[in-house]
Amino acid sequence: MLILPLLLAFSIFMLYPLYKVVESSFYKASFLNPTFRVYVGLENFRWLFNFKVFDPRWSYFVAALSRSLLWVGGSVGIKVVLGIAVALLLNSQFLAGRRIYRTLVIIPWAIPWAMSSMMWAWTLNSQFGLVNSILLKLHIVDKPVTFLTTAKSAFLTTMVVDAWVGLPFMIIMFLSGLQSIPDDLYEAATVDGASDWTKFVRITLPLLKPVILTTSLLSLVWTFNSFDIIWVLTRGGPIRATETLPIAIYNVAFLLTRFGGIGKASAMTMAQVALVTVISVFYIRTLRRGVEI
Amino acid sequence: MKMSTKRRLKGIIYQILAVAAMIFLLLPIYQMLITALRPSDLPWISPMPLIPEKVSFRNFVQAFQLVPRLPRYLLNSFLYGLGVSVISLGIAIPAGYALARFEFRLRRPLMVFIIYANMFAPIMLLIPIYVIMKRFGLINTYLSVILSGSIFTIPLSTWLVTSYMQTVPKDIEEASFIDGCSVYSAIYRIILPMISPAVIAVFIYAFITGWSQQFILALVLIKTDQLMPITQGLYQFFSRSSVRWNEMMAAILMSTAIPVVLFLSVQRYIVKGLTTGSLKG
Repeated sequence: MLILPLLLAFSIFMLYPLYKVVESSFYKASFLNPTFRVYVGLENFRWLFNFKVFDPRWSYFVAALSRSLLWVGGSVGIKVVLGIAVALLLNSQFLAGRRIYRTLVIIPWAIPWAMSSMMWAWTLNSQFGLVNSILLKLHIVDKPVTFLTTAKSAFLTTMVVDAWVGLPFMIIMFLSGLQSIPDDLYEAATVDGASDWTKFVRITLPLLKPVILTTSLLSLVWTFNSFDIIWVLTRGGPIRATETLPIAIYNVAFLLTRFGGIGKASAMTMAQVALVTVISVFYIRTLRRGVEI
Repeated sequence: MKMSTKRRLKGIIYQILAVAAMIFLLLPIYQMLITALRPSDLPWISPMPLIPEKVSFRNFVQAFQLVPRLPRYLLNSFLYGLGVSVISLGIAIPAGYALARFEFRLRRPLMVFIIYANMFAPIMLLIPIYVIMKRFGLINTYLSVILSGSIFTIPLSTWLVTSYMQTVPKDIEEASFIDGCSVYSAIYRIILPMISPAVIAVFIYAFITGWSQQFILALVLIKTDQLMPITQGLYQFFSRSSVRWNEMMAAILMSTAIPVVLFLSVQRYIVKGLTTGSLKG
């Protein structure tokens, strides 16, 4: 059968691993000692909420999850707002050289995420980075900023770098959405004397809404799964300020083996999978409304 | 007259905004360029000059001394990309044909699952992938990264191939069936040549993803220097306490140029597939 390889690939490398995640979350196990495995029931899920190590107020998992949600919300927010703004700009007939801009916009899309992060780390360097020279020249700051060494600025910086990585995709999607809006709608509005703002609110936004919705949901999932960028820039530091859920899962599974382990990391992964699944359900529903599947 | 000055003003404002957006989007790329082209024996000046005082290509040669295994990493990334794209297309082409042509009970749930599977990222399956690869003794092999990497490119590849196959009229291959052609030879002799640009685009999409985005998989599956992809290989030098930035940026520039050029050459098809992929049925 033609479809068989696909079914096999999905079963062996997606459904079976997913089942393994669920199964391991009920066991105590570690990579250090592969033969040792004990059934512990819901112990790992209790651990998610009980285990307080770095902060007396929140458990390790709850802290990572809420950090993740905040980080994803911020990053996707930037991507959507800037994405729409740049797409509008590049769609405007008043802008000369649109073709060149459209090609330039795509370039960051093709750069490996880990490489983008290394480039950004250097661009944000406090002595020789262009970001600091621009900020100093414009007198926005009076002494160089160290972006990745304090908790708050590292959080914001990784968020902006992630937005940078995801922005080209958003711009291109919004741009193609804008191009599908018929011109005569705008012409009719111009005849009626509508202002640019009225046209944007009454024509562009309502007609772009399906594209905005599906693209944002897609970006929400991708951003929630983002690992490389934070790992290269900060490794979740300083003092865990950028330790989102994916980073925490990696740490608990592979690095913090003294209190971590496969079971606990699997329980955390369940939360990751659950959130992605919930967003996917919304995504598939909105897709269905737009196009027939 | 008044109208045209307003138009011109708008044009100027939009141009300024567009340039500002480009500065944000291209800033790290520009910093990479000027760092890679500035000779490493020039003294560091803070802030760094926007245009290098002297331009030389020596850093590109010296990058191979700083990172002795650079050619090996590039070869590895090439092999990872090739493996991932061969597997992805090997699965996506027959599956895409079936999904585009036949009506069967699993079809709809499968299409929905493909969309869901496209949402998956390595972090969600990292632990079981590691356990499975360890059990089969595949840790530290090309195969481990290629197999686990493919699963994240198969969904979109299948989706894109399906939507392109739907654009080919049915009667074309039906005529070939009358001539005694099998389904397989109809796919390879008739349909694939008709949508070859799209198939090449999907191949390149999977290749770039395999080349570029195996960082986290390689981090847990690859332990020896000889098998590392370029991202992981360069990351080793990046995470050291003192980074030789000129040579480092030259190395990054050389290794990102390949996926960027490939991507720009086919982005038209990928964007078209992503935005018009309305699958009827």
